Amino acid sequence: MKGIVKRGLGLAMVGCLAASMLSGCGKTPEPEKLVSSEKQENTGKDEKQKAKADTSKKVDLVFYLMGDAPNDMQAVQDKINERLLEEINATVTFNFTTWTDWQTKYNMILSSGEPCDLIYTANWIDYAKLCKNDAFTPLDELLPEYAPELWETISKDLWAQMKVDGKVYSVPSSKAEYTNVGVKYREDLRKKYSLPVPDSLANIEAYLGGVKEKEPTQGILLPVVNTSAFDYSLSSTMVLQAKYGWVNQAAMYGLAADYNNPSKLFNYWASDAFREDMKMMKRWADKGFWSKSVLSNSNIADAFENGQNVMVIDGENPAKYTGNLPRVEKDHPDWEVGYIPYAEMTGVAFANHATGNGTAIPSSSKNPERAAMALELLYTDQELNRLIQYGIEGSHYTIDENGLYVEGEKYDDYRNEGANTWNLRNPKISLLHRNDVKLNEIFDRLHTIAQKTKYPDANIIAGFIEVPDSYAAERAALSTVMVQYLAPIEAGLVPDVDAAIDTFLQKAEQAGLSKIQKEYTAQWEAYCNEYGYN
Amino acid sequence: MKIVKETMVKRKRTRNEFFYDLKKNYILWCMLIPTFLFFLVNNYLPMVGIYFAFIKFNFKGGLFGSPFVGLSNFAFLWKSNILFDLTVNTILYNLGFIILGNVLQVFTAILVSQVTSKFFKKFSQTLMFMPYFVSYVILTVLVYNVFNYEYGLVNNLLSKWGMAPVNFYGEPKYWPFLITFFYIWKNLGYGMVVYLATILGISKEYYEAAEVDGANTLQQIRYITLPQIKPTFIILLLFSLGSIMKGQFELFYQMVGNNGLLFSATDIIDTYVYRATVTNFDFGMGTAAGLYQSLFGFVLIVAINFWIKKKNPEYALF
Repeated sequence: MKGIVKRGLGLAMVGCLAASMLSGCGKTPEPEKLVSSEKQENTGKDEKQKAKADTSKKVDLVFYLMGDAPNDMQAVQDKINERLLEEINATVTFNFTTWTDWQTKYNMILSSGEPCDLIYTANWIDYAKLCKNDAFTPLDELLPEYAPELWETISKDLWAQMKVDGKVYSVPSSKAEYTNVGVKYREDLRKKYSLPVPDSLANIEAYLGGVKEKEPTQGILLPVVNTSAFDYSLSSTMVLQAKYGWVNQAAMYGLAADYNNPSKLFNYWASDAFREDMKMMKRWADKGFWSKSVLSNSNIADAFENGQNVMVIDGENPAKYTGNLPRVEKDHPDWEVGYIPYAEMTGVAFANHATGNGTAIPSSSKNPERAAMALELLYTDQELNRLIQYGIEGSHYTIDENGLYVEGEKYDDYRNEGANTWNLRNPKISLLHRNDVKLNEIFDRLHTIAQKTKYPDANIIAGFIEVPDSYAAERAALSTVMVQYLAPIEAGLVPDVDAAIDTFLQKAEQAGLSKIQKEYTAQWEAYCNEYGYN
Repeated sequence: MKIVKETMVKRKRTRNEFFYDLKKNYILWCMLIPTFLFFLVNNYLPMVGIYFAFIKFNFKGGLFGSPFVGLSNFAFLWKSNILFDLTVNTILYNLGFIILGNVLQVFTAILVSQVTSKFFKKFSQTLMFMPYFVSYVILTVLVYNVFNYEYGLVNNLLSKWGMAPVNFYGEPKYWPFLITFFYIWKNLGYGMVVYLATILGISKEYYEAAEVDGANTLQQIRYITLPQIKPTFIILLLFSLGSIMKGQFELFYQMVGNNGLLFSATDIIDTYVYRATVTNFDFGMGTAAGLYQSLFGFVLIVAINFWIKKKNPEYALF
């Protein structure tokens, strides 16, 4: 009896495996077929007439955005859908990735086949790599036909910046911005203890040391481990942007180049400067600027606003700084917040690259035409754009007599760009906030600095598309070596810095660092050559 | 020739018997269908995904349209020469969890079964079961606030008692004990219930007879309870051996995080793979690592089962 059952099961299993393989095989060509047949239809239509697409069938679109949904997302979404139903017989559901594990979720959305017709993209989410892996639908033909106004409203120059292998895959935000980061610090504490303005690396250290001395229990900095970066592992070293005017925020695979001399990469990790900097990090750690347990801490959300640290040294760009100001003013009226862009310490600033914020149509979308139409409306229609950017007028925000944006009663349920739709910023119809005056003033300062560099507003690093295929295994191995050996050094938690650096470099070498550096350098030099950066 | 013929006849007969059985007990066979479907859909269909380990994934091609790349997805596992250490760490931790965990579960199950106060019995059971429902993410916060160097609970107590603070997050040596402790803390109640059920299933007559013969409680446990739960113990042990190569990712990741200082004692295959693949979301590499774990675990369990079958056939799994 037992034997029979076993054999029966075995046979059945083989059958099932075969069946599943077959069904798997049969499944894959489908999407491609769909796309191609649709394309044929499109071109056919194109020849006959330039009329609007067929919207007789109602479709439900899904738009994925980053981070967390604001409390009143549903209400705003309903309002948006009222209009969209009228205009293009479609509804949009806004879904959010949340900030926990968003990298994984983002990739799962694109690969799992779950419905998604529009999605936020950016260079910091590997825009170029995803394009190369066919994650998105090319827009060069789709947009002129189904979203002509959108196609026109964005400048040719910006479209050119979005191109990967000659094709556009994402609709950029058309707002000119500087996203060069800086230090944000508690100005009230500086005044209280008459400490130096943190406008250089030495003064930053003096300021932090002063606060630590006067208020020993106050948290000073809250660095966090980044497992997905190849230029640093602990964000404490982001403060070195006060010292170096490099082309990148830190040394990619240990390789850095000055912004004014971009093609000459040098090996920072092998240099004495690196050892000196790491010794400074140890000094900072010994002074107690961060916890000895910092490497295991991952909870840094809103740390500055909650008073857990007195300075933010990482990722604080001008828009983020001014965007968070109203909250601080509301929660801590006694605080004063200062901000100094690193650019003013190093003389290197450059405008944001168009790929910094964008919207793409995933290749898994079943309704790319309708998605393009919906995107056009959300981007160019004043009522819809303001709904998604600011919420409902009168409740989430109001417009004052000068035409400026003012926080409304229910501001906390839908903040300014509360849905994280940085990709839908359209300066032609967007509202200015009174803090935007401050923001534009910082932009002006950065613009002045940018004009003095050798390549004004070029954003050299963002235009570079790294193709790591030939060293993918080495890269994966290196990323674990960095977290294991480099992060403790950058946290200043090793007893002997020089010895720890030797170990790190040796382990990195085993993982294949020289191969990575060699191939990366070759790609980088070819890029600089092509675009005339030398 | 004769043997072949005989086996042929035999096979024919078994096949006939099978169909005969199918005809006779078709209702029983029908009842098997849901289970069969369940395993098919959840355990066998996903196996097709193993193919991910051998391709360079792209979104358009999907599973079968992406280019085949052979074994290159496995390369990152041995690039930094730590596959051996990772494997050893993974196996040692799991051995610790399995052996210590099961022994303590048996121990507490016996203790609880001896308790006569019904209230205390239920109370202690609930108390032990509770941690099982605590999410690992909560555990992170808990552990971090207990062991933080500057304001952690432990160091606060130590300094109150005039002792030097301990840098838990800087020294790997404490973590094998801490991780094992929290694993057991979380899983003790759940495992205990299984043993408790077995103990309660032992016929009361044995104990009554033993009492008449003058056996005390310890002797009853030694000569009745333990032998009776031995089969359950061995089966559960064997089941858990199958996953000896699968690390408790959440436990390790949430307790240690990305703290490189502790990796020498806490890095297991799962956490390593996570760190290596989270950077460049790579289906291929992730699946390759999973396949390595599964194959290793498969070989291990087949070998152990083979050995047990030889020694003590009644305990073998298959």
